[in-house]
Amino acid sequence: MRHVRRFAVATLTSSLLFAACAAPRPPAVAPPPAAEPKNAVVLLPDADGKVGRVIVSNQAGQRTLDRAGTATRILDAGTAPTEPATISAAEIEATFGAALSAQPAPPRHFTLYFDQGSTELTPASRSDFSAIVAVIRAYASVDTSVVGHTDTAGDARTNQGLSLRRALAVGALLVAGGIDPGALEITSHGEANPLVPTGDNVSEPRNRRVEVTVR
Amino acid sequence: MRFFQASSVIAGMVLLPSSLLIPLPAGAADETIGSLKKTSGQVFVVRDGQRTPAHPGFKLQSGDTLETGLDGSLGVILRDNSLLSLGPSSHIAIEKFVFLPAEGKLGLTARILRGTMAYVSGLIGRLAPESATFVTPVATIGVRGTHFAVRVSE
Repeated sequence: MRHVRRFAVATLTSSLLFAACAAPRPPAVAPPPAAEPKNAVVLLPDADGKVGRVIVSNQAGQRTLDRAGTATRILDAGTAPTEPATISAAEIEATFGAALSAQPAPPRHFTLYFDQGSTELTPASRSDFSAIVAVIRAYASVDTSVVGHTDTAGDARTNQGLSLRRALAVGALLVAGGIDPGALEITSHGEANPLVPTGDNVSEPRNRRVEVTVR
Repeated sequence: MRFFQASSVIAGMVLLPSSLLIPLPAGAADETIGSLKKTSGQVFVVRDGQRTPAHPGFKLQSGDTLETGLDGSLGVILRDNSLLSLGPSSHIAIEKFVFLPAEGKLGLTARILRGTMAYVSGLIGRLAPESATFVTPVATIGVRGTHFAVRVSE
């Protein structure tokens, strides 16, 4: 029993000593201040987990970041970027927390489909419509794109007009739903940007569409 | 005959707006390139030498400079669907933003003078990965379709 207690006291003492050593203490003599790198660049994962690349360069050298959670630092314009090294989550939060939490929600995309040769929405797309109005409102969007498309049935010139009329029809429905016309940018691509590539003169329901991007 | 006249009037009405809706040419100064979605604290947009307090819904143009105060932060969605956000005491000039994919004209050049910025690339990063560049006083950052953050101290 006594032995156990002494062991416990010894353990407590050593952990206190360890804590005292680990805790930052003002050094007796301040070391010369290390120059702080002017820049730090950190690579982060995309929302879907994918990781791209950034290339950081100046007159003294170049580094590529291609692993999430690594950073390179640049002391000054005449010194090459440092070799990429892991950066702690705590440092990312301390340095970039405010910028990262100011990131807006990404844009939302909707596709509405049409009957052949028509500016009438298909019944399924008509029922999707109220969701778009709700998202534009929730986003307080002032920058929503409405882009009209056709399939390749008929000639390209006619389809240019049809794709624009489809986009205008969707724009008019949005405005009727209470959306400010100034928040909409209405354009059209005719048959030039099919969702599903086809030959000419092919009726393809998936290409008869208006794409709405809410930003 | 009347039928044909009527249809040409309708065609005229339909065609008229198209000339108004064609996107402005690349580099047109008053073209919207994105908008402020989030702000907190002091946020300013500098355009043509005028420094204006800015709030969510503010429409941005190529050439605008964004600034945040000591307690400020902001988040922007650009027209190519990329996300750009700033922490406090930050200053970034969007020197060039061109997004005309139908004409193959795409590009983003921004100069970060100080502060912190996070960026999630969008369609420019996907369609023309070589054409998105951030410049700081001591380095150049080329973006290859990704998410990154940068700190710039003076």
